[in-house]
Amino acid sequence: MIEQKTFGDDTAADDNILVVRDLHVSYATRSGSVAAVRGISFVVPRGKIVAIVGESGSGKSTTSQALIRRLASGGSIDSGSIEFEGRNLGPMSERELRSIRGGRIGFVPQDPSKSLNPLMRVGDQIAEALRLHLKLDKTAAAAEAVRILAEVGLPDPDARATQFPHELSGGMRQRVLIGIAWACNPQLVIADEPTSALDVTVQRHVLDNIDELVRRHNTSVVLVTHDLAVAADRADYVAVMSNGEIVEQGTTAQVLSAPTHEYTKKLVESAPGLASRRLTPSLTALGEQQQSSAGRLFTHTRPAQPAGSATASGAVPAHSGADAAGATNILEVSNLVKTFALRRQGGGSQVLRAVDDVSFVVPRGSTFSIVGESGSGKTTTARIAARIASADSGTVSFDGTDVTSLSGEALRQLRRRVQVVYQNPFGSLDPKMSIERIIAEPLRAFRVGDRTHRAEMARELLEHVSLSPSLAQRRPTELSGGQRQRVAIARSLAIGPELIVLDEPVSALDVSVQEQILQLLVDLQVQFGLSYLFISHDLGVIRQISDHIAVMRSGKVLEAGTAHDVMSNPQHEYTRELLEAIPGQRAV
Amino acid sequence: MTNLRKPGFVLGLIIIALAIVASLAPQLLATHDPFESVATDRLLPPSAQYLFGTDNLGRDLYSRVIYGAALSLLSASLAVVVGVVVGAVVGLISGFVGGRTDFIIMRFVDVLIAVPGVLLALIVVASLGFGPVSLALGVGLGAAGSFARVMRSQVLRIRSEEYVEAARTLGVRSPAILVQHVLPNAARPVIAMAALEMGTAILSVSALTFLGFGAPPPAPEWGALVAAGRDYVATNPGLSIIPGAVILVVVLAVNRVARSIGGDE
Amino acid sequence: MTQVKAWAGYLLPKLGQFLFVVVATYTLVFVLVHFLPGDPLIAALAAKGGASTVIDPAELDALRVQYGLDGTLWQQYFGHLIAAAQGDLGVSISTGVPVTEMIARAFPFSVQIASLALLFGVTSAVLITFLAYAAPWPWLRQLLLQIPPFGIAVPAFLSGLLLISVFAFALGWLPSAGARSFDAAILPAITLALPVGALFFQVFSSAVLEAQNSPYVFTAVAKGVPPRRIFTKHLLRNAMLPSITILGLLIGYLAGGTAVVETVFSRDGIGRMTVNAVLARDINVIQGVVLVVGAIYALVNLLVDVAYGFIDPRTRIGGGVPSRARLGAKK
Repeated sequence: MIEQKTFGDDTAADDNILVVRDLHVSYATRSGSVAAVRGISFVVPRGKIVAIVGESGSGKSTTSQALIRRLASGGSIDSGSIEFEGRNLGPMSERELRSIRGGRIGFVPQDPSKSLNPLMRVGDQIAEALRLHLKLDKTAAAAEAVRILAEVGLPDPDARATQFPHELSGGMRQRVLIGIAWACNPQLVIADEPTSALDVTVQRHVLDNIDELVRRHNTSVVLVTHDLAVAADRADYVAVMSNGEIVEQGTTAQVLSAPTHEYTKKLVESAPGLASRRLTPSLTALGEQQQSSAGRLFTHTRPAQPAGSATASGAVPAHSGADAAGATNILEVSNLVKTFALRRQGGGSQVLRAVDDVSFVVPRGSTFSIVGESGSGKTTTARIAARIASADSGTVSFDGTDVTSLSGEALRQLRRRVQVVYQNPFGSLDPKMSIERIIAEPLRAFRVGDRTHRAEMARELLEHVSLSPSLAQRRPTELSGGQRQRVAIARSLAIGPELIVLDEPVSALDVSVQEQILQLLVDLQVQFGLSYLFISHDLGVIRQISDHIAVMRSGKVLEAGTAHDVMSNPQHEYTRELLEAIPGQRAV
Repeated sequence: MTNLRKPGFVLGLIIIALAIVASLAPQLLATHDPFESVATDRLLPPSAQYLFGTDNLGRDLYSRVIYGAALSLLSASLAVVVGVVVGAVVGLISGFVGGRTDFIIMRFVDVLIAVPGVLLALIVVASLGFGPVSLALGVGLGAAGSFARVMRSQVLRIRSEEYVEAARTLGVRSPAILVQHVLPNAARPVIAMAALEMGTAILSVSALTFLGFGAPPPAPEWGALVAAGRDYVATNPGLSIIPGAVILVVVLAVNRVARSIGGDE
Repeated sequence: MTQVKAWAGYLLPKLGQFLFVVVATYTLVFVLVHFLPGDPLIAALAAKGGASTVIDPAELDALRVQYGLDGTLWQQYFGHLIAAAQGDLGVSISTGVPVTEMIARAFPFSVQIASLALLFGVTSAVLITFLAYAAPWPWLRQLLLQIPPFGIAVPAFLSGLLLISVFAFALGWLPSAGARSFDAAILPAITLALPVGALFFQVFSSAVLEAQNSPYVFTAVAKGVPPRRIFTKHLLRNAMLPSITILGLLIGYLAGGTAVVETVFSRDGIGRMTVNAVLARDINVIQGVVLVVGAIYALVNLLVDVAYGFIDPRTRIGGGVPSRARLGAKK
């Protein structure tokens, strides 16, 4: 193994709290041993934040777990050393390790909703660490736990300490976990994706809180994240991981402004928060649009449409607006209201207005996006617009026709023209079906062509989404997340729809894959004259694809307008907050 | 199949194969006539001539066990078929139709489950009379309730999967969704449970025959063999313990194979 | 005041469910008894006096009145239901003794071995799980985990007879039969505990396994909590939640199991009484026993529901939405 130059080399050796040398980690699986981390070396200087950035499968989480020698079952450290304050953790006994874990190395885990014991009061969960390491007695530990809750920014810490995790919001739970990590004033804290499960505005506050604790306690932090922008904002040093190796490391400014490794360059380019702009159709897509006579896929498969629809109309390039053959607006939604009854404490019920008087129009051939955080009602709105769910009141009209109360066969026929792509490409494809059958499913449902014809079309669709037709006989489990989402897109195209509702279509994917999928969507839009209703929590992604944007919170549309207006001249306070919370604005 | 590389699974398959041969063609495995008494050879210990020894009438215990397989295993199989067919159909309807139908059906299922399987079987036996067929019906009815629950929960699980909703938004009709998505995805857990139920059914049937509700005496049902040997447990424990151990081995084999089907390990 | 209302809102539906299960159990048995082919009274009399018993029609009618088998089915159905609600389960056809009295006499014997069995079974399941959890070597863990599948597959009459031949006949430590002393309850209880413990183990150990791989246990490890404390403070209670929902199921197993175990050990009790009733085709006794067992099952489930509200803060009364997915019943 070639000794890699690490960024701590310029500082004195004893100033590094953690020194990792040539670390190899592997997992034993049925088919043999799989290397997850392959010879990484880095140091963490005292009082500094070191970010380890990588996509899923890069080995970054394995690295974070290896640093406290607690790997998932089957994992083992094969070689290399982890020196914490000059002592190698490798040969240490479990007993010694226990005094370090929680006492001198804190850990902030990934998923706040599952990382706290659901049956234990949060105060007790902090006190447990205090009693173990600082040997405080019961009352002293309880008092200290309340003080810690206050320090991590929980309002009313006395009351919160006696609550159970389910009574706290995601952001509050993550603060409790941060409190546990910092409880015994550790020298080093490892934070494994501490904010990736949180909304952007909450993420920002939680990261601010970590910054403050680092400053106040002079703690060193290893910040593991998939989000280059978060690293850019918060870290002093960055190490980029790919395939179990650190491909590049250095100071944050160095790595981000002048990346030398190919992979880092790609990552920096595709990170939506850092430098996103509206994607334009690629040249090949424009070329194909001109060749394709009707601009639509498989026009021959479409039955005669009612008057006023878009049968065999020419493709409409994005941004162009109207289509002579159909209504100007493909979708018009007005005054939608959807309420849910929530059962409350004491048996009473409370009404939640998930969608509260929402109206918008989607111009034909363009992308209309709804952005909002969790609980904003954006997904419910999209589901009503796609006629998957129904509204309590309000109307949905598609291509000039009121479709609000369609049901049965009429609703089924609407599916030919309105399709949906879901967030989770792992859940939306039947694991028992072959890719070919999945893509051909809508064709079979509408009795288009015979078996061989459908198979042929499925292969053609695979090419349209840039997948090899040789994948046709595979199962979804054999494909990567990005490939699966391409399959889902191909399936939605099969029957030749005019409007596609995309519900967070890229948020389950890695950043570099996200951009490829967004580019594909932009290209397909031009090729086939599609209109999109696009839902996302991520303004960076929204910026890359939208023509119009609506910002939602608590069931209401706060602000709507053209993408340019909303992004560069936000009118509502909340929109500004959202924009400011996008990471990647501080550094570089 | 990776299963075939596991020794426990292979051994289980061999034992099941032997049990099936014994039920269908006992003469291939038996060494004696199971009903023939040899007055001079009473209560003999196991030997080369009498593999499991002889009973109080001088009959070869090994051959009786072999001939008993047919009665014991066939009524257990019938019980599983009754339980699975009734349970799966009820659960499928309940889960897929949902709403009020589901509510009403599941209340009936609750009741079937509230009465312990053995008691339910006893009621059926007491009403229909003793014998292998009424035993099988009783045991099967007792199992139908939990089958219905498992089938329904599978259907509900699959119905809430995103790919089922996706299929709906693709315009696929309900019957097609049932056939193309729900059934293929529910099959494996239900088959695994049916296989596990086979083990339970063998135990229940042998318990009921042990209590004397099976075919009338000289019939060599496994549970009845154990019951007959009970009187000699102080002097000749093998007489009841060997047939009991045969039941144990067969049930272990069935359960082992069932767990592999279910993908437990 | 709101607390009382909350409790009422929580308990009343559950009480309703309890009553429903009891009435429905009675209905199910009634339907099975009266709609399966054959006249229950004639079958019982034949079992009593031999197949050739000839009964004079007038006498038969008198017997029908005596055993409550006269009148239309509706009259019988409601008559018995009302009587049962008042504690009268009719008269045994084979012995002439009131069924309530017979059950009351046999009940304590069965409860003794059943509760002992539950105690043995659950304790050893938790113990084996803990040992497997703490086992330093994988082979030991594998070995420990092999025990329970064995417990499920062993027929109760086999384990009972084995225990008798070893502990009663070979070693002479414990009695092989009877129900008079506490000693006599130990072997039957162990026999019953095997399948019950194994069933409990299946649910409990997989819940522990699941909890063990959960992020909150990772958090505890990262806090430096020692393994034993992780087991007692973090795993045990979380794993108990899904496990106690099968208590009702275990009661059913125990009720069925006593039939075999009490026969093997020649003990008095509900199980043996039921077996004798079936042999005599004594429909009144069978009906009574099933009704009592069904009621106990429903009662245990009611208690489990209430206990759940105490153990799990997420379902605690006044602390959120009280609900739980019954094992396998709901998603």
